[in-house]
Amino acid sequence: MDWGKVKFFLGEVGRNFTRNAGMQATAIGTVAVTVVLLGLFLFVRLTLAGVGDRLLKQIEISVYFHTTATAAQENHLRDVLRADNRVAAFTFVPKAEGLKQLRRQTQGSIDVSILTQNPLPDKFRVRVTDPSEVAAVADALRGQPGVANVVYGKTIVGRLLQLGVVLRRVSIVLIVALLFVASIIISNTIRLTVFARRREIAIMQLVGATATYVRMPFVCEGVLHGLVGSLVALAILGIGKAALWSKLALALPWLELNSAHVALLPIALQLLAVGVAIGALSSWFSIGRYLRA
Amino acid sequence: MISIRNVSLTYPNGVRALDNVTLEIAKGDFLFLVGSSGTGKSSLLKLLYHDAIPSHGEIVVDGIRVDKLRGARVASLRRHLGVIFQDFKLLNDKTVWENVAFAMHVTGAHTREIERQVPRTLDLVGLAHKSRMFPNELSGGEQQRTAIARAIVNNPKLLLCDEPTGNLDPENTAEIMDLLLRINTKGTTVVVATHNQSVVDRMRKRVVRLEDGRIFTDEERGFYYLGLGQGQVLSG
Repeated sequence: MDWGKVKFFLGEVGRNFTRNAGMQATAIGTVAVTVVLLGLFLFVRLTLAGVGDRLLKQIEISVYFHTTATAAQENHLRDVLRADNRVAAFTFVPKAEGLKQLRRQTQGSIDVSILTQNPLPDKFRVRVTDPSEVAAVADALRGQPGVANVVYGKTIVGRLLQLGVVLRRVSIVLIVALLFVASIIISNTIRLTVFARRREIAIMQLVGATATYVRMPFVCEGVLHGLVGSLVALAILGIGKAALWSKLALALPWLELNSAHVALLPIALQLLAVGVAIGALSSWFSIGRYLRA
Repeated sequence: MISIRNVSLTYPNGVRALDNVTLEIAKGDFLFLVGSSGTGKSSLLKLLYHDAIPSHGEIVVDGIRVDKLRGARVASLRRHLGVIFQDFKLLNDKTVWENVAFAMHVTGAHTREIERQVPRTLDLVGLAHKSRMFPNELSGGEQQRTAIARAIVNNPKLLLCDEPTGNLDPENTAEIMDLLLRINTKGTTVVVATHNQSVVDRMRKRVVRLEDGRIFTDEERGFYYLGLGQGQVLSG
């Protein structure tokens, strides 16, 4: 390892980085603003998706048997459910148990004791692994022998699934737009610093520097912009969360419940990576046009 | 060393800088390119270090087809030749030492080698005592000597000089020309594009005169103005 070379290279990067403070601040600021927006957006998206997911997870299919259904038919359905890998869990509710539950739910507001016999059918309560398969599973069960009716929250499942799709599409568009705008601003900023140093670049190439050699300090500078900018953004997000979180949670109680599931560290790392990538790529491309040969 | 065959150069804006130029320069030669402004002297030098690409013809420097080079090979070519300019083209935020070492750094030279070679070269151009100064603390002649040190620090076989004394007084001009001559006697081929009559007339070297992008005369021991020398060869 030639430490002289490393020292020279770091010296170059450091010199460039400290030389034009205004320009550096602009680039870093742009990264920071972008990452803050991106972070807020990711957080909101994950929270909303979490709400949807939790609602969907609570969706349950009720499979009612005919009152005339035989034990064999009920056992057959048990086997079907067991064999179906889309089914996460199921419980059998015999009619006696169903009546007990009804009694508990009505809590004496209706006098169930007037019933001379149990009018309820046996039923299965089924949960599926993937909410988008609720409809398919329900349809499959509807055709089974002895089954009278299959019921699930059809409308709400449809709407929640739709919400998920819309949320995904909107977020892809927004994220792409955000990154696009940020990289344009940053490339323009870096283009200015490159322009200010075009003489130096020309001289470097004149004495035989390769395009890669000329590029490296600029790309490292871009990485630094990205790194510093994202760290600033993460600090802002962290402080913002600490300051506003308890108030927000009071105003929107469901938020606290659902945002607890959002893992913050992976988001932070993703944001850092995005910031660094924006910085590196924009400087890579903005210097391209000053490299002839 | 250099072989230029039927080379024409038209710039994108339509200006025809060189028109069917053919020129051979032997290894170890010292050659002046003269002619009034805009006759293609700088363009001819640019072709040799691949700062311009001919629209026509071929250029061979030290066995390499320069006009065919692209990318990293251009960088490699430039490490094997030195170029100096009227405006020195030094990096103003680097010291004399750093400016010279810079040319070695970009070649990926080892630090030990840089620390051995730079002082030697600064010694040769007579700037060892000013190695820690910045270009704007130096006289024009000293700045040009720094540029020469940078150009020769990698031991090039060819040194190209575009108006090297254009910004210098007669005394500094003489010093710079002496230095170029010394570099030439060590075996480096030197090509100097110049307007300076006294320099050309004093040195009595080969003089190639360009006019309107064509070679007008090529004299073995020539003068700045046509017809004063002997062994005149008309060509182009």
